[in-house]
Amino acid sequence: MLKKHLPEWKLIDVMLKDSEALQQLVAIVKLQDQWVKHRASSLYIDPLLLELKIRLLTREDLADSLVKCWHPVAQLDQLTARGLERAFTYWRDLVPLSERFKQEFGNYATSPGQLDFEELQSLNIFSKEEFETRLNAIHDELVQRTSNGGELDYRRFIGAPTFEETAVRAYLVAFVVTEGRASIRVDPLTEEIFLSPVSGPAGSETKSVAIEIT
Amino acid sequence: MSNPEAERALLERKMRKALQVLILQRGRNPGVKGWEMKRYLGKDYRTILQVLSGDLKQLGLEVHEVPGLEGTDDSTRFLLRFRESPTLSEAESAGFRIDDLAVLASSIATVNSKQGRVGRKELETFLREKFPRWRVDYSLERFIKRGYLDQDEKGLLRIGWRTRAEVDEKSLMTLILARGEAAP
Repeated sequence: MLKKHLPEWKLIDVMLKDSEALQQLVAIVKLQDQWVKHRASSLYIDPLLLELKIRLLTREDLADSLVKCWHPVAQLDQLTARGLERAFTYWRDLVPLSERFKQEFGNYATSPGQLDFEELQSLNIFSKEEFETRLNAIHDELVQRTSNGGELDYRRFIGAPTFEETAVRAYLVAFVVTEGRASIRVDPLTEEIFLSPVSGPAGSETKSVAIEIT
Repeated sequence: MSNPEAERALLERKMRKALQVLILQRGRNPGVKGWEMKRYLGKDYRTILQVLSGDLKQLGLEVHEVPGLEGTDDSTRFLLRFRESPTLSEAESAGFRIDDLAVLASSIATVNSKQGRVGRKELETFLREKFPRWRVDYSLERFIKRGYLDQDEKGLLRIGWRTRAEVDEKSLMTLILARGEAAP
């Protein structure tokens, strides 16, 4: 009957709005009912009063209050068939350590390698012009600091306030030495490393020295 | 005509069975629901559990029932728990630091005072006034995992099933208030 006459209802929108309003009122009454029930229960304490009490109490008092009302469950933990199945599934699906945090932290499992000048250029760490300029600058600095013809302590020369800058200076010095514009001498007794500029043409006798930077 | 000795033997057998199902954890959470008890012990399972609880008194244990969400007998959970509360030092030796217990006490009391639910952020902000930030984060996470607190997808914290099972919440509220009154 209602279905039959519903299309004839001219004020259908009004009726829908009335229904919606009634539904909202019911929801409010329900919430009020819950609120009244809670306030009437013995668990009700004014939240502000309780916050004040908790602030006033010491940690020991709070812990002791809990322990006095605490009855721990007695149970025996045991391996169940379901637990065993879950453990097996976990172990089977466990991604290897090398893959686990790859997306978040990169491929940290890759061993250290070497970067050549072209790669540094592609990473925008150096441009060719900047590299040449810095190479000449560090050579000039070396010449200037050894103007009396002596040698310089290698570690003092490359030392900079930050490790990154120290590494860059060591890298540049390695190029200067490779080009034959400077030479490195290692004292066999003290293992100290000395650096000096080379003014003439490079000698034919060369050898490679690996120096650790810390 | 029933044989009293046979009845007694049956009762003892059912009590042993009840203790067995209560003490061995089957699912993720401890305890056995009413419908399971009915299946193991029969319709008079409540009587058997009452007798068992009396017998366990000597050992300092009791059978405790936690009403289920539906409020029916079938949904009620029965579990074995300590009849007496442990001392603070015993609780510490069980792996709970005083700070952890204080965070839990404050959390339970706060949740109960706010009609049974409180936003996690709100609780964290309040607790950080009294405890270090890392301790609050660590303890809350731990208590949620162990079932003392329950967090829904909206980030609201409620009292967890383990608190309902292990903690006398009314006494806790009363004790906190009483201690507050005694404080200078």
